[in-house]
Amino acid sequence: MAETIKEVISRNVWKENQGLRQILGICSSLAVTNLMTNSMVMGLGLTFVTAFSSLTISLLRNAIPHRIRMIVQTLIIASYVILVDIFLQANFTDISKALGPYVGLIITNCIIMGRAEAFAQKNTPVLSMLDGLFAGVGYTIVLLIIAFFRELLGFGTLFGFDVNFIGFETWTIMVMAPAAFFLIGTLIWITSNIFAPGKSKK
Amino acid sequence: MKNSYVYTVVFMLVVSAVFTLLLAGANSFYKPKIEENELLAERTAILYVFDIDQSGSAAEVLKRFDDNIKDTELSGISLYEYSEQGETIAYAVPFTGAGLWGSISGYLGVSPELDEITGLVFTSHSETPGLGGRIDELEYKEQYRGLVIDAGSKLAYGEDGGGQIDAITGATSTSNAVLKILNELLDETISRLEVA
Repeated sequence: MAETIKEVISRNVWKENQGLRQILGICSSLAVTNLMTNSMVMGLGLTFVTAFSSLTISLLRNAIPHRIRMIVQTLIIASYVILVDIFLQANFTDISKALGPYVGLIITNCIIMGRAEAFAQKNTPVLSMLDGLFAGVGYTIVLLIIAFFRELLGFGTLFGFDVNFIGFETWTIMVMAPAAFFLIGTLIWITSNIFAPGKSKK
Repeated sequence: MKNSYVYTVVFMLVVSAVFTLLLAGANSFYKPKIEENELLAERTAILYVFDIDQSGSAAEVLKRFDDNIKDTELSGISLYEYSEQGETIAYAVPFTGAGLWGSISGYLGVSPELDEITGLVFTSHSETPGLGGRIDELEYKEQYRGLVIDAGSKLAYGEDGGGQIDAITGATSTSNAVLKILNELLDETISRLEVA
């Protein structure tokens, strides 16, 4: 029983959102979300990597020996991440500098490996690619929500544009990693209440 | 068959070879462009230290650099020299030192008499974006332009330094690290330069 495309989308973006429901990819959500531009690039990079590694792994799924499948997955994921890194260095020097080591660390983002292992190993290529793509989209949305609050309250800007018209005193804590903890915690709390109200009490 | 040792080894070798080839291709394709970007960033930074216009296309910036600045060595220290019609206007001395999170590198521009800072620039650092990372902002760097230095006295923030330079609020450690690097540079390197 394969899922329909619509089910893949709603599952990845909402019902089983990687960041908020699966609690994956938290490290990078803390690190790059103090500016919306960086979050956007990080999200796009991860989406690209997840989509194409899922596609590749799904295409090879019947040929990959079961015993070494994880090594092969890591190899494929790492190759796409290095491609993204080289591309950013060549064409978006400033952003590449701002993201620093985090681009390389996409390799260790559990979302990609999770999608590869849980979905791409068992499903057809096109569906796997969509699964990876929308897992990435769901992650990007969470990153952007967190970055929206952090950048707005921490810098008074959005995507680098000054929106602080009322002379609001910006909060330094929002720029630092703890703010992301608070925001992720709040978002997880809200989504948990929507999906499983009162479950934790029993 | 799929689980045989030979198949597993051959499969891994083939997959590794294909992906390595792909990455090697991408790397050699983009390498010239990445190196060009790095060169441009370095040269733009040095133009900034000398307060020379950094605007325009990459070719214009590189030409302006070549017209005014030369790579040279003075008292055994390699640095950049800005001269016009044979007369030295300033030197840019490279530095690297410990920041809060990682090393901070950049250039400090000094007048040929070594009594004035012409500019300060950072070429790489890993300070927290939005806090220590603000050392890269003009507001911070511009404070150092035209700062008078006398041999023997150290740079200091606020009133201790004559109220000429200020630290960054919320980034005390990075600000102090920068000052420490600069004082060491002035003390140990720049004071050693044998200027005519």
